[in-house]
This record gives sequence, C-alpha cells and structure tokens, in this order.
Amino acid sequence: MDRQQLAGYFDYNATTPVSPAVAEAMTATLGQFANASSNHAEAIRNRNAMQQARVSVAEMLGTSADKVFFTSGGSEANNWAIKGRLFNHLNKPGHIITTAIEHPSVLETVRYFEKQFGFKVSYLKPQSNGAISISDFMAALQEDTQLVSMMYANNETGVIQPISEVAKITSARGIKLHVDGVQLVGKRAIDVEACDIDYLSFSAHKFYGPKGVGGLYIKENNSLSPLIHGGGQELGLRSGTENLLAISGLAKAAEEAKCAIAQWDQHAQACKHLMVDLIQQADISVEFNGDTTYANALSNTLNMAIKGVRGEALAVLMDKKHGFIISIGSACSNNKQKTLSAVLLAMGLDEERIQSSIRVSFGQYTTTADIENFVTALNQCVKQLSAMSFAS
Amino acid sequence: MYNDIIIENFSDPQHVGDLESADIELEVGNSVCGDRIRVQILLDDNKISNALFRAWGCATSVATANIFCDSLLNQSLDSVCQRDVEYKQQMLGELSPSQHHCMDILNELHQLLSEQRVAEDVANG
Repeated sequence: MDRQQLAGYFDYNATTPVSPAVAEAMTATLGQFANASSNHAEAIRNRNAMQQARVSVAEMLGTSADKVFFTSGGSEANNWAIKGRLFNHLNKPGHIITTAIEHPSVLETVRYFEKQFGFKVSYLKPQSNGAISISDFMAALQEDTQLVSMMYANNETGVIQPISEVAKITSARGIKLHVDGVQLVGKRAIDVEACDIDYLSFSAHKFYGPKGVGGLYIKENNSLSPLIHGGGQELGLRSGTENLLAISGLAKAAEEAKCAIAQWDQHAQACKHLMVDLIQQADISVEFNGDTTYANALSNTLNMAIKGVRGEALAVLMDKKHGFIISIGSACSNNKQKTLSAVLLAMGLDEERIQSSIRVSFGQYTTTADIENFVTALNQCVKQLSAMSFAS
Repeated sequence: MYNDIIIENFSDPQHVGDLESADIELEVGNSVCGDRIRVQILLDDNKISNALFRAWGCATSVATANIFCDSLLNQSLDSVCQRDVEYKQQMLGELSPSQHHCMDILNELHQLLSEQRVAEDVANG
C-alpha cells in the first residue's frame, strides 16, 4: 500500500483500503476458476472454501454459518432484506418504521414500497445528538407494523442507534427487524444472536475487504423471499454463480476483524481524542455534530462544523494543497437546488452549520503523526479561507 | 471534477483583499447555495489598475472571483464589457453541472460592471 496515500486518507467511512492479508488471500484464489456449484474435484474444493468463508463471517457476527448469505454488497443486502420481507405482505400492505437518516439503499427501497404498493411508512427523525429516541420509536409502532429497518451506526455522524432496545421491542411484538450494519460491522464487536436481530446487512469494503461483496445475516431463512431468482445458490435464496474471489477477500477481512477489532477500536478512539485535543489547541472554532462519546458513537468518526468556512471549499483545499481526503455535509448541485446532508438536516441543524460541516473518518492505517499533520493542515486551510471571507 | 484553472485560482488566489477607496464595487450572491462575492475595482485613466475580492462560497465561486479580478487588470471598462459568451466560458474552463452556477456568477459580475459603466457615463454627461 502507498503510505503517502494512506497518510492523507481520512475517509474510511466511504471505503477502506484492502488489507495486505486480504489482497494475498484473493490473489491465491484468482486461479480457482471452478464453479462452486459443479461437482468435480476443483468445484468441491471451491465449495468447501465458500463454506469456510461463511464460517469466518459467521464467527465475526456471532452466529452460525447457515445464517450467513453472500451478496454483491450492502445495497443489495438492504434491498433484499426489505423487499424480501415486504413481498410477503403485498396482499395486505401494512406499516413500516424506518428513520430519516438511513442509507439511500434503505430509504429509496422503502419509498418504492410506499408509492408502488401503498405501505404506510414512519420516517423517524433523530434527536439533536443524532440518535433515534426509543420513546419516538414506541410512539410510531402500530398494530400492523410489519417491518422495522434501522441502521446500527450512521455513516455521517458515527452515532450508534439504540438497536438492542429496539430489538427487544420488535422481538416481543413479533415484528421483523432489519438492521443496516454496514458502518458498524468491522468497527465494533457485534453479536447478532444476542441482539435478536432478524436481518443484518454488511459490506466487506468497509472493513478492509474488497468492493462488490457483502452479505445478509438471516435469522430464519424461511422468513425472506429471494431477491434474485435463478440457479438456486445460497440455499435458493440468492441465485448467481458464487464470486469466490470476492468472498475469499470478505472472509479474510472478517477473520482479521474478529481478531483485531478491539485493537482497531482502541486505536481509533485514541486518534479521535488526539484530533479533538489538537483542534481545540489550534483554536479552530468547531461544533461537533452528534454525540461523540465512546458509548454512543463510532470511535473512528468525527462530524464537525467549522465556523465561517464552507465545508466544500475546505475539503477541496485540504485535498489540493495538502493531500488530505475528507467528506462534506453539503455540495453544490445546480442553480435551482442545493444538496444538504439529509442526516444533518434531520438532526435539526441549520443550513449555515450544515454547509460548514465536514466528516473525518480514520482507520487502522491512520497514525498519530497523520492526525497531527491533518490538524496542522486544517488550521492553515481554515485560516486561508477565513482570510478570503467577509468577516476578516 | 475541478479543472486546473479552478484549482489554481482557488488554491492560491492572488486578488483577495479590500480597497480603501474603490471606484466601483460589485456584489453578487447565489440565494440557492449561499455563495457571496464582493469585487472592488480601482480605475486609473479609464483603465482598471486594481481589483480585489472577498468571497464566501464553494471552491469554484472563490476561483471565479479571482479569475474575474485577474482578468480586469490593465483592461478598459469598454473591453471588459464587450466580452462575448465564448470568451467568458473559456475564462472558467470546463465545468461540471454542479459548478454551472459559477458561470452565472461570472455573467452577473460582467453585467453589473456594464450597468455601473452606463451609470457613470450618464452621471458624467
């Protein structure tokens, strides 16, 4: 991996670099072209490799291999969980609960069922700290609630949602719970069985695996209809010739995550503390968006509004002058429409604050020196932009 | 996403600041995305001797302000006001759809300058 590129990379929530061990595992698999569903010796070897991969992923999630199903990534897993469940209710569309801060692959899927089939949907807004309140959730429940779809951790703020509490309620009422775990899996230890989650989506590229592969944990596989019909792979629930190359990368990433997750989390938390301290020492006027405490937010994520500067301009300057990659809370779209972060809007933040917001996310390859260099560059860029503005 | 003209003019703008006694002051804003630009111009014998800006906005709008100021130096008001569409498009280079509002900003700056020139002509008889 290019150390210089990694030193400037502060966008781990968008995607992560493939780890050397994952790359090695995938390289070793490249020549194994046999179709895992065939019956000759090489095919059986690949089928065994698939099964071993399923075990690796299951161990990371705290479940058994027969409940892990491979997909093309998080978006497919989210689509499958929602569509696969709601297909069972098309004869009598009921009520769905989701949140306003979900990934588009959840929101757009739910909206599709709302418009196309007449399901009623409650879109819960988070509190100002970025978390959904349990009392709001309780108030939204209806007699005919058929599905709850809620993310585990938000991609923009890192705020962790009260999934354990939600799961207790849905379980007691017999309502199926889908959790988009894409941002949390690989960052915090998870035990899906203990949590009583029905469906959990995950994506390999968020935890040092390859893009284009992920999966869905399914507690009871007869509770979900297939999204992709065909040759009957994945117990008939997800057809398509198995992508062993990508799945071998996912499996290695899962093995690494299972072993190192506590260490990664501790490292990310140390990076977060250091960044907050250095920003405060640099006298940059910052307001953090959402809860930043360990218990309530991912250790690797900081979403902050920097007073007096435009987040988009700051991100461009950080990239072009210093080689640091970050994300922003709003972007220009065209002359008639602005694009403000739906997550920050739902939290009730005003337009000026959203336009001044950036998201910083780091990972296992971020060093304390990278953090120090980042804040030095951030300070310079903020001063440069402030000097151009009207206030100075 | 950002062409070299935009990157250069945004990353290292040479015309930021205030003029103590400007002959012309232009101010434009984009109500949708909140961009705001003020350009101050100093004239010397009917030629523009200095132009400085202040801006709050996206990278492309800041670059637009710098490009505009740079293009004014040592030019007559007449020559600036006679610029055609093609010339102005070349000033910013190729823009992505999300940056097209900066072409509007550039056109508005030229328009305001033309209006100021006409107003001055009227005032001077």
